[in-house]
Amino acid sequence: MNDYVGGTRKPFSGLSALLYIDARLVIPIIIIAILGLVTIFSSSSGDLNLVIKQLTRIIIGIITMIFIAQVNPDNLKLFAPILYIFTILLLGLVLIFGVGNSADRWLDLYFIRFQPSELMKILVPLMLATFYADKPLPPKISYIFVAILIVLVPVFMIMRQPDLGTALLIGMSGAIAILLAGMSLKFFLGSTISAMSLIPILWLNMHQYQKQRVLTFFNPESDPLGSGYHLMQSKIALGSGGFFGKGFFNGTQSKLGFVPEHSTDFIFTAFGEEFGYLGVIILMTLYLFIALRGLSISIKATDNFGRILTGTLSLTIFLYVLVNVGMVIGFLPVVGAPLPFMSYGGTSMVTLFATIGMIMSIKSHQRILRK
Amino acid sequence: MKTKSRRDSIRKRKNIEEKYSWDRLSDSDDERKSHKIRALIATVIVVSLFSLYMTKLYQVQVSNHEYYSVKSDSNRIKIRPVQATRGIIYDRKGSILADNISTFNLVVKKELIGDKKDFLDKLGKLVNLDKNMTESINSQYKNRRLKDITIIEDITLDDYSKIAVDQYILPVVELLSKSKRRYKSPEAMAHVMGYVGKVSDADIESSVVKIHEGMTEIGKLGVERFYQNILSGQPGFEKLETDARGEVIRVLEKREPIRGKDIVLTIDLDLQNFIYEIVKDKEGAVIVMNPNNGDILAFVSFPGYDINLFTKSISNKQYAALLNDKRKPLINRVTSGQYPPGSTLKPFIGMIALEQGIINENKFVNCDGAYELDNHKRPFRCWKKDGHGDADLSYALTQSCDVFFYRVAQLTGIDLISEHLYKYGFGQKTYIDLYGEKEGLIPDRAWKSKAKQEPWYPGETLNVGIGQGYFLATPMQLTLATASLATDGNTYTPHFLFGDKNNKTSEVSMYDYKNNKFSTEMKDIHHLDIVKKAMWRVVNDNGVGTASSLKKVKNIEFAGKTGTAQVYNLDKGKTGTKRLQDHALFISYAPFESPEIVVTVVVENGGGGSSTAAPIARDIIEYYMDKKLTSVSKYE
Repeated sequence: MNDYVGGTRKPFSGLSALLYIDARLVIPIIIIAILGLVTIFSSSSGDLNLVIKQLTRIIIGIITMIFIAQVNPDNLKLFAPILYIFTILLLGLVLIFGVGNSADRWLDLYFIRFQPSELMKILVPLMLATFYADKPLPPKISYIFVAILIVLVPVFMIMRQPDLGTALLIGMSGAIAILLAGMSLKFFLGSTISAMSLIPILWLNMHQYQKQRVLTFFNPESDPLGSGYHLMQSKIALGSGGFFGKGFFNGTQSKLGFVPEHSTDFIFTAFGEEFGYLGVIILMTLYLFIALRGLSISIKATDNFGRILTGTLSLTIFLYVLVNVGMVIGFLPVVGAPLPFMSYGGTSMVTLFATIGMIMSIKSHQRILRK
Repeated sequence: MKTKSRRDSIRKRKNIEEKYSWDRLSDSDDERKSHKIRALIATVIVVSLFSLYMTKLYQVQVSNHEYYSVKSDSNRIKIRPVQATRGIIYDRKGSILADNISTFNLVVKKELIGDKKDFLDKLGKLVNLDKNMTESINSQYKNRRLKDITIIEDITLDDYSKIAVDQYILPVVELLSKSKRRYKSPEAMAHVMGYVGKVSDADIESSVVKIHEGMTEIGKLGVERFYQNILSGQPGFEKLETDARGEVIRVLEKREPIRGKDIVLTIDLDLQNFIYEIVKDKEGAVIVMNPNNGDILAFVSFPGYDINLFTKSISNKQYAALLNDKRKPLINRVTSGQYPPGSTLKPFIGMIALEQGIINENKFVNCDGAYELDNHKRPFRCWKKDGHGDADLSYALTQSCDVFFYRVAQLTGIDLISEHLYKYGFGQKTYIDLYGEKEGLIPDRAWKSKAKQEPWYPGETLNVGIGQGYFLATPMQLTLATASLATDGNTYTPHFLFGDKNNKTSEVSMYDYKNNKFSTEMKDIHHLDIVKKAMWRVVNDNGVGTASSLKKVKNIEFAGKTGTAQVYNLDKGKTGTKRLQDHALFISYAPFESPEIVVTVVVENGGGGSSTAAPIARDIIEYYMDKKLTSVSKYE
C-alpha cells in the first residue's frame, strides 16, 4: 500500500516547510492569539499573571500543533478510534466525579484539570473522517446512521454535564462532517426536520438556567438585570466602541465589570470596545482567512480522510467564531462558547492548535497519486 | 469444479478489491469533484455569514454608536451631590443656636449581607441589638428601593470607637460619617428655630424656598425655613466613575459646594432659657420685644419639643406622640395661637374712644356691677360684683372695670372700634420673619353677615369692648400693639434677623429694621399719656391696680395691663375643669419712662391674669433689667 511517498515537499523555503507548517494558516492565528493577549491584559486592568498564563498555553498549543503536524495521517487514523473511546470513558468519569461550578465539566487529574468535552471537539470530526475514509462514497444509509451515532453519543454525554453549548457545537461539527462526506442533501433536510421535532424533548431535559438563557435570548428586555443584562451590556460595550474604538486600555465597560467574562466568552466584546469596528474588521477577516485557507487545503487534499477532516475542522473553527460572536451581538443565545485562539482558557487553546496541527498534517503529507 | 474455483477466485478478488477499494476510489474524479462542490458551497456560506455578521456589527458599532455611547456613560458615570455646609445660627450675644456636627451611621450594603441570620448573630456581638433595631433592619431589608441598610443612626464618638475596635467581627458593615444639624436648647428654642428635614414634594412646589440641584435637606419650620435660602448655600457635585458594583473608581470632575451664610438672631438665649424654665410646665406664649427696633429678645411658645429629634429620621411613634400630646407642643402659640385678649384689649378700646372724641379723661361711668342693655334679659356683668362706682378711663383701666368699657364700646360702636383696632396691628399679620402666622380676628358687621349669616347685635359690641366674644388676637399681635403704645406709635415690624455674618471675615451685615416701620397715627399724644399712666397704675397704684400686688422691680417702674379671657364652651367641659379655666394674659413694657422691652405673657387656662401672667412678666422684666448690661448684643 505504500504506493505514495511521504509528502509533497515543495521547493524548500526554510523552517516552516521543514516542520510541515503552513505559514498562511499559522500567521493569522498567531496574530489573533496576540490580539487575545492584548485584550486580556487590558480588560484585566493590566494583570500580567493572566497574560503569562495565557501565553504559556499558546506556546503549549503551538508545540502541540507542530507535533501533530509531523504525524502521518495514517497514524491519526489509527489512533482516532482509541482516543475517541478513551475520551468517551473520560466523559463518563466527568459525569461521575466531575468538579466545576454550575456545570460539572472539569476532570481533576490532580496534576491537570481539563475538560474532556473540549477534546471531543477534535475527536468527533477525526473519528468521522476515519470512519468515512475507507467507505465508498456517496455513503450508504447504514453508514450514515453509524456516523450519527458517533456524533450523538458524546453529544448526549456532554449535554448531561450539563454543557449545552459545547454539546451543540460538537453536534454541529458532526453534521458538517457528515455533509462534507457526501450525504445527499435530501436526506440531510429530512433528518434536520426530524431533529427539529426533537426540540421539545430537548427543552424538557434542559436545566432551568439553560431554559432561562434561551428565553432571554428571544426577549432580552424581559430581564434586563438577569440573563439579558449580559447581552445588553455586551452590546453597549461594542456600540460605545464606535468605528475606531475607545483605545487600548480605555474600555470602560469591560474594565469596570459591566461586561461579564470579559476575558473568556465575552473577549470579543472587550476587544470590540477598545479597538472599534476597525479592529473587528481585522479580527473577523483573519478568521475568514483561516476558514478559507482550511477549505482550500481541503479541496486540494488527495483522499477522503484528508478532505473530510480538513474541511470539517476549518469549518468548525469558523462555526465557533460565528457562535461566539453571534452570542455577544445577540444573534444567538448566550451559551458558554469561547472565541477560538483568543479566549482565556487552557483546554480550548490547546485543542484548537491541535486542530490546526491536523490540518497541516494533511496538507503536508499529501499522497502522490498512482498513475 | 472449474466454475466453483473460478467463483471462489472472483469472490476473493472482490473481497480484496472491496477491502482496498478506498485506494482505488480515493481519487476518483467523481469524489474529488463532489467534494469540491460541497467545499465551494461551504465557502459561499462562510463568506455570506461573514458578511451578515459584519453588517450586524456595523449596525451596533457604527450606526448605533451614539446611542450606546450614552448608555455606556450613564453606566459608569454617577453624579454625586456634595452637600453644602449649612450656615450657623447665633443669638445676639454670639452663642451658637444651631450648628452642624459630624456623626456616624452604621450601614451595610444589602448585597454584602449574605446569610441574614448569620449576619444578625454577628451584628448582635458588635452592637446591642434590641427589638426595634431588628425590626427596622428587617423592614429596610425588604424595601427594594433601598440599596443600603442603616443599622444605627447618629453614633456618638464613644460608641464609634467601640464599634470601630470590634468591627473585625463583621467587616461588611461600614461607619459612614455625615453632617447633622444640632440645636442648642432644643425645647426652649423649638418654635423659633424650627428644624431641617429631607426635601419633600411640598418643598419642591413651594415658592418661598429655592431648591438647588442635589439638595437633600431643607429648613422645614421656624427661622430655618424662613432663612433657608440664606442658610443653605449651594451643593457642589462630584462626577464619579463607578464600576458595575457601584464602587467608586475615581473622581472625574468636582465642583465645590458653596457654604451657606451664618445668621445672627435678635434672640437672647439666656433670657429665652430663663423664661422657658419658668413656664415649661404650662401652656401658652411669652414674647419679649424691643419696641424701639422690633428685635425679638425672647419668643417662647410652651411647651416646646425637642427639635433635635427631627434632625435624624424621627420615628413614627415619637412623631405621633408629639401630635397627639394634649398639650399640643407642636403649635407655635406665639404667632398661631389666637386668643380672646380679654382686658388686655381695654387700653386700645380706651385709646380709640379718646381719639374719636367719644370720651375724655373726665368722662365717668357709674359701675354698679352690671350693665343693662335694651332687649337683653340678662345684664352684662362686671368682674367686680359690687361695682366700681363712678369710674373714669384711668380708674377703669387700673381696676379693669368692665362696665365702663361696655358703655364706651356701646358709645363708640363696632364700626369705629373695628376700623381703629386695625391701626394697632390687630386682624392682620405682624409680618414677623416666620411663616404660618395667623391674623387673628376683628369682627365687624361685614364679617358677621358673611361668616354667620346674621346681623350684628349690639351686645356683641359690648363683648368686643372687653376683649371677649368673637375678637381674637395672637400673642404676637398683642406685643406689637403694646409696642406701639410704648413708642407713641413708632415701632417696627418684629423680627428675629439681626444680620448675616460673613463666614470669612466674621463681619456682620446688620439687618436694617428701619425699612419696616410700624406706625400708628395718634391725634393727640395726651390721649396716649392717659392710657399709659393708667397702665402704670395697674402695676404701681398700690391697692388699686390689678397687678399692684406684684413685688416691685428694683430701680425701675413698668406699666402693664392684666387680662383674664373667659373660655366659653371650649371642649364643653368634657376634659375636666383645668381645660375650662380662663386664659391669663398680661401685656407690659419696661421701663415706664423709656421703654426698652415689651413683655407679653399668655397662659392658657391659667386663671387670672394678675395672679398667673403678671408675675411671670415681672420676673422677666427684673431678669432683663438685672442682666441688661450683658444682654446687649456683642455686635452693637
